[in-house]
Parts: sequence; structure tokens; C-alpha cells
Amino acid sequence: MPDEHAIGRLKEALRRLPGVGPRTAQRIAFHMLERDREGARLLAEALMVAAERVTHCGRCNNFSEAELCRICSSGKRNGDLLCVVETPADLDTIEQAGAYSGLYLVLMGHISPLDGIGPDQLAVELLLLNINEYPVKEVILATNLTVEGEATADYLSGLLESRDVVISRLARGVPVGGELEYMDSNTLNQAFLERRTLHRG
Amino acid sequence: MTERRRIFNEPGYLLHQRAYSETSLLLDVFSRNYGRMTLVAKGVKRKKSRTRGILVPFQPLIVAWSGRGEVKTMTSAESLVLRKKLQGERLFCGYYINELILRMLHRNDPHETLFGAYESALEGLVRESDLERTLRIFEKRLLQELGYGLHLSTDTLTGAAIEPSARYRYVAETGPVLDNGEEHAGVVLHGESLQALHDEEDFSALHRRELKRLTRAALDRHLEGRPLHSRELFSRLFPQENEQAALGKSQAIG
Repeated sequence: MPDEHAIGRLKEALRRLPGVGPRTAQRIAFHMLERDREGARLLAEALMVAAERVTHCGRCNNFSEAELCRICSSGKRNGDLLCVVETPADLDTIEQAGAYSGLYLVLMGHISPLDGIGPDQLAVELLLLNINEYPVKEVILATNLTVEGEATADYLSGLLESRDVVISRLARGVPVGGELEYMDSNTLNQAFLERRTLHRG
Repeated sequence: MTERRRIFNEPGYLLHQRAYSETSLLLDVFSRNYGRMTLVAKGVKRKKSRTRGILVPFQPLIVAWSGRGEVKTMTSAESLVLRKKLQGERLFCGYYINELILRMLHRNDPHETLFGAYESALEGLVRESDLERTLRIFEKRLLQELGYGLHLSTDTLTGAAIEPSARYRYVAETGPVLDNGEEHAGVVLHGESLQALHDEEDFSALHRRELKRLTRAALDRHLEGRPLHSRELFSRLFPQENEQAALGKSQAIG
């Protein structure tokens, strides 16, 4: 029957969402059809429009509808600073925090040898292009503090060594509001290694 | 093993991890007494998790888990000593041995001896200057442990002891036989290279070059034609320069 075919296709399509298995897909499908047809139309349309219009910004590689994203085309950002992040979600988090006013480069992942992801799968070429074509003075490597994120930062700093730019890495240590008693040992040890001088007597 | 079991205080290392739902991770762990395990670490991606910071490769861990079936649930993880700090080329060598274990070992097969070999290989990657020697010794012990051990002390045709200056042809199923120049299969190498790997003594440039081809051929037979990601990445990240090749220096993995 054609009707059941449509439901089946909907369930299959929903299963493409991360973390959605067959049961969840069924629950969402029936909910949409039973209680929220309007929502279903909105969702379908939003997905269509996004899938068609969203591409990558030509300068920072973040998702963007225009050739240049909102941040890269804004005249108010500090072009001296270029912050390298792994994902658009990382960029959003930094933006929400609000203290950083420079530009970004989104790698879209990290180097992960066991998953077969190397520099060729990341926006490394675009990073080099940024440094060559724009007056970047400092590159801030804000990849995650995981082993893969560190490997990526390690690789990038080696790659940029010969360029005329300052290369920095996000500080790591005790988080704001952190209690030492509950800290994991790696973080605590790192905080000691990278301790900060307050006063030279 | 289908019965529900709780395991406490098990030494192990994280080999690889994948995201698993919003807040959990799926871990591949190499444990001392239970071999390669797959564990679900629930809730470790939450902000308040103390465990997240120590769930990294090359960190000596003390793990506990429970459950039946292939995938167990991790109940705790602690670290007693500092992580082995690997950087650059050494880090990628570390990834390589992790990938070898992931690819070559079956789940839930205990390999206590190999666990010791893994720990000393990590130690070697931190301290030793000859990374290739560290990797070759680990590869030798890995093959040994899996029942594909290399023949390094005698000519398998005549039974005679290996002559350091003679040239041998190492054929996969047979082992080393004196090279008469007529055969084409296998890897040709000097007796002194076989001895160096057998006795785990210092490697010369010749040993490094010949033994890399030997272990690579031996490992490739068991990788079922699927290349090792870390090996491919290594040869692209640390390309061998002609000058170095002329000096007899070569890459540790590629």
C-alpha cells in the first residue's frame, strides 16, 4: 500500500539522525503524523532549505549561506587574530562566551589516525591561504585538549613554524569554580606544570 | 562468557574511543588479564565527570566493569601514575601500535604476555632514541603471541644456525633459508639482521631497513589486505627525504 510505503520511508529517513534507532524513529514518525502535521511540514521545509542553501564560508570554512559568513564579512572583528577550532559547535561556544573578537578557521574535525582522518580531510589548505593572504599576526590553536586535538595542534604548529606568525595554544588547568578535591589527576598535574607567576619577589 | 561478572582493579590502556549517545563513550581497552575489551563509559562526557580527563590513550588506567555479552559497562576508571607523554613522531608510533592491537587481537582473548610487551613498547617510545627498534620488537612479540612467531635463529631448511654475513630469503610460511638467487618470493635480508631482532640488540641502519620489510610482510599477511590507517598517515606526515634515505635513515613505520 502506498501509505505504508510513505511511513516506512519516513522511518528510514529519521534513522539517519545521529543517535536515532528504529524505535525512536517510529516514535517520532507517529508523533509527527498523529499530533503535529504542521510541525512536520515546517521541519521538512527547514531541512530542504538548509540542505540547499548552506555551504562553507570561503574564508573560515564555517557553515554559511553567503560566500563569506557573518563573522568574516563583519568589519568589526580583529583581523590580527585567527582562532583554529575543530567544529562549528566549538566556534559557537567561543562566540557565546564573548571574550574573543578575532576571526576563525574551522577545520571540520581533528587528526585521528585510527579513523583514517589525516590533514587532507581537514581545512588545512584554507588555513595556509588565510595566513598567506590576510595580515594574520597570531594563530590561536583552539583544538580540543584530547589526544587527537593535541595531535592536530602539534601537526599545525609544525606546519606553521616557518611562517611569520605567533602560534599559541589555549591554556589548560583548573576550571573556574573548580574544587581541587574533585579534579582528575591529569588536569591537576597539567595545572601545576603550567602554573602562572603572580609576583616575582 | 555469558554470566554476569564484575571485574575490579584491572590494569589497562585505552586504545580508541568513539562517541556513544550524548554523554557516553564507547571504549576499546587493552586490559592485562582479559585482553581487548569493548566498554561503554556512561556519562563521562558530562561536565562534572572526573573520569573524562584520564580516558586518553597511553594513560595507565585501573578499570572496573560489569555485564555480560560482548560489550560491558565500565563502572570506574582511575589513574595511579602519570600518562606517557608522546609527541610528534612518537605519538603516531603510539597510534600505530594501538591500531595493530585493535586489528590483530580478538575481543575478550587474554594476552598477558603481550600486555607486558605493550607497556615496554610505550616506555620505549617515551625514552628510546631508536623508535624503529622499539616497534620491531613489539611487532615480533605480537606475532609470537598470536602464534605467527618469526623464525630468527636457524635456517629452516638445513637447521643450521644463522650466519651473520650470509644472505637469507625469508619466506612467509617457511622461515629463513640461504638465498641462492633463484627464488623470488619473500624478503631478502642478512643473517645479522635476523640475529639483531632475535637478541633485541642495537640496530644498525642495515638492520632497520631490512627488518622493517620483514615484519611488514609478516604483519600484512594477517591484515587481510586492509591497510593500517596510522601507517598511511605516518608516511604522509613524516615524508622520507632523499637525503635521509641516502644516509640510511628511514621512517619508523611507513
